Amino acid sequence: MHRYKFVLYRPLQFLPVLFGISVITFILVRLIPGDPARVLLGTRATPEAIARIRAQYGLDESMLAQYFYFLRNLADGEMGRSILYKIDVLKLIATRIEPTLTLVLCSVVLSVLIAVPVAAIAARNQGRLADQVIRIVSTFGIGFPPFWLGLMLIILFSVELAILPVSGYGNTLSEKLAHLVLPSLTVSLSLSTVLARSLRAAMVEGLRSDVATAARARGMPESIVFWRHVLPNSLVPTVNLLAVNIGWLIGGTVVVETVFALPGMGQLLVRAIFSRDYMVVQGVAMVFACATVLINFLADIVTVALDPRVKL
Amino acid sequence: MIAALLKVTDLTVVHDGDGGERTLLDAVSLDLAPGEVLGLVGESGSGKSLLCRSLVRLLPSSRLRISGGSITLSGRELTTAPEAEMLAVRGGEIGMIFQNPSSHLDPVMRIGDQITEGIRFHQRLDAKAARAAAVDILAQVGFPDPARQYDSYPHEFSGGMRQRAMIGAALSSNPRILIADEPTTALDVTIQAQILRLLMDIRARRGLSVILVTHDLGIVAQVCDRIAVMWQGRLVEIGEKRGLLAAPAHAYTRSLIASHPSLPEEDMPAKAEKLRAPGAVPVVDIEKLHVRFATGGLFRRGAVDAVNGVTLRVMPGETVGIVGESGSGKSTLARAVLGLTPVSSGTIRFDGADIASGRAVLGMLRRQTAMVFQDPYNALNPHLTVGKMLAEVLRVQGKIETAQIPARCGELLDLVGLGRAFLDRKPRSMSGGQCQRAGIARALAVDPKLIIADECVAALDVTIQAQIVELFRELVERMSLTLLFIAHDLAIVRNLCQRVVVMHRGVVVEEGRSEEVFSRPKHAYTAALIAAVPHIDPDKPLLAPSKMATPQADGVAN
Repeated sequence: MHRYKFVLYRPLQFLPVLFGISVITFILVRLIPGDPARVLLGTRATPEAIARIRAQYGLDESMLAQYFYFLRNLADGEMGRSILYKIDVLKLIATRIEPTLTLVLCSVVLSVLIAVPVAAIAARNQGRLADQVIRIVSTFGIGFPPFWLGLMLIILFSVELAILPVSGYGNTLSEKLAHLVLPSLTVSLSLSTVLARSLRAAMVEGLRSDVATAARARGMPESIVFWRHVLPNSLVPTVNLLAVNIGWLIGGTVVVETVFALPGMGQLLVRAIFSRDYMVVQGVAMVFACATVLINFLADIVTVALDPRVKL
Repeated sequence: MIAALLKVTDLTVVHDGDGGERTLLDAVSLDLAPGEVLGLVGESGSGKSLLCRSLVRLLPSSRLRISGGSITLSGRELTTAPEAEMLAVRGGEIGMIFQNPSSHLDPVMRIGDQITEGIRFHQRLDAKAARAAAVDILAQVGFPDPARQYDSYPHEFSGGMRQRAMIGAALSSNPRILIADEPTTALDVTIQAQILRLLMDIRARRGLSVILVTHDLGIVAQVCDRIAVMWQGRLVEIGEKRGLLAAPAHAYTRSLIASHPSLPEEDMPAKAEKLRAPGAVPVVDIEKLHVRFATGGLFRRGAVDAVNGVTLRVMPGETVGIVGESGSGKSTLARAVLGLTPVSSGTIRFDGADIASGRAVLGMLRRQTAMVFQDPYNALNPHLTVGKMLAEVLRVQGKIETAQIPARCGELLDLVGLGRAFLDRKPRSMSGGQCQRAGIARALAVDPKLIIADECVAALDVTIQAQIVELFRELVERMSLTLLFIAHDLAIVRNLCQRVVVMHRGVVVEEGRSEEVFSRPKHAYTAALIAAVPHIDPDKPLLAPSKMATPQADGVAN
């Protein structure tokens, strides 16, 4: 199985990438105007109190020294303390990661479940009514911003029909899932349109390909031609598109979590930025970056599994 | 005569376009007896492939339809049969193989599974029995280790083995008729000979009827019983092969036979050899050239010697042919001569100057050489008219005054036999042969010392090939061009070139005057290459020295 050997050595390439990301987030966070100590203590804080807080969090030292502490803490498995929440950033993230992770996971699964059949229907009825309808609807899907879509879904399902909760997150599994239905739907309505379009284009090409002709010439019925030959060949380019979009989606949870008041990482990030909670912003950015790198790595593995020609 | 297995009567296929109906197949009639091999020849666009597709009702576009005539298979009418019945006919009774096995095999499916698929669907066998049957078929089509190779993917095989796999997939449902649409066009001659032998072997064992579509009269002369000639959507002539080849009735058949570049048996009159001035500087002087390509990734490195120690000298006014199979390094050699590929070791001198010695020499080289490409259509800019394209080259070249450029463009078109009306034409509205003439005009516009033509007739029809070769011959004589002509077609090289260089796996195995190399090859590989060319004379059999089709004979070992 030497085609999968890259799984062992590819992570080595992550190290320089993550190092670069840490430098950039570190600098960018500190370029945000404002002083965390002042935000923390309020407008009437004495200069002495501010200085004390700044010293406590190492904010009075040079950028280079601060970055050095940041790296040293990282090596110890810590990301510093949150100024606002007064606990270790990593522990803080741990309490917030679940809703975000579940949201992304549900959205991706739902998107694929929507995109594959929709693309299949459109491709197999190319140019006919079903294809036209799908194209128009998906154009709307791409056009509507997710926050607006989310609000509309809330109005329809939670306010009018009252079958799903408006916002927040529950305690039991069923409560949690019920709270995730609308956010996931919001995300996947936009994501699935992008996927479906790319998938449809690949399928239309696949249906005209020599591979399909050869299968038909062997007497294969159209359903076998489609599901066994066209679909597997169409998935390859779509997997990479999906990976890129999941990366974007992780950042996009900020909006959706805000609309649905989900206590996830996105919400944490927004609050941390407003209160200049450097350590938290840094930590969340690092986690998002790691997740994006990891997802592209997973996409590479899936691509290798789907296409025997690919060597990485 | 035995009752026909397949009978086609007045089959007509039309295209419903915006400008009304266009007839693409015009009342074609033919029949096919059990066990018979029928050769179907004609130029691209003559309707050969469309006829084959129509037989199983797999028309390549929804705008095409069968508008008349009938197709009967053992007395059953196929033009009106319900689609469900056609599923059983396709594969089950009429199998098909195609020109390009690389694009017709599913790249993400195991070779064996593509064969099993048909077996399971048509014969309703369970998975285990189907696999056993598929392994058996793989063995029949010449896979040396079928049980293991069942699980390999198409890209792991050479072109010849892929074509064997496709034949296997077509045979999987025990058809009675096999339609082979240009099955060897994409393959090297020696592999072509193996595949043709395999087809004949299978025909003999299974009593298959075969419709063999090809543009190569040599192939039909060698393997077919009868020949049908198509021209502009009509079947203009059909008959027993010896009679038809000896006394062709239709003008097109005659021109097809006349333009076949069959290897002549006796020595041709020696080509006018130009007197070589003693001490003349060679145009190209290649010495111990190595071109090595790195393979593998970061952690596992290897290297392939695409060109492995080639020494070659081309004198001014010479026409040198480089022949060899795909992968022999002939194109890499050409690219290296133009400075397009980094050289690992050795030297290339152009007109006495080492092309590695600096940008100035490379610049001079590029101004004084021109290339003619394999795909005439894609080598031209689709947005430019021929006139603009030539003017651009002349302007960049800067050898002649701007005011004289239009006149020169006209002259160039005259030279390549295109007529000045083509100045305003774009490639879209030109045929392949016309595009290639424009490509040659562009090469001549550079006023080059050296023209390199890389497989420049491989994509053209036989009659057009003959015309382009004739054009090169004229140009060489009139303009004392130096020509490096790369081709896999031995007959064309023999007809055109004074000297021939035979390459095999990056090495020059033989070199000499064309007549000598072709009539008395010294190297076993050259001999095998020549022996594999199908001769247009049916009595000069290609298949006689029957070393059974073995895939191991993939290129002859020294």
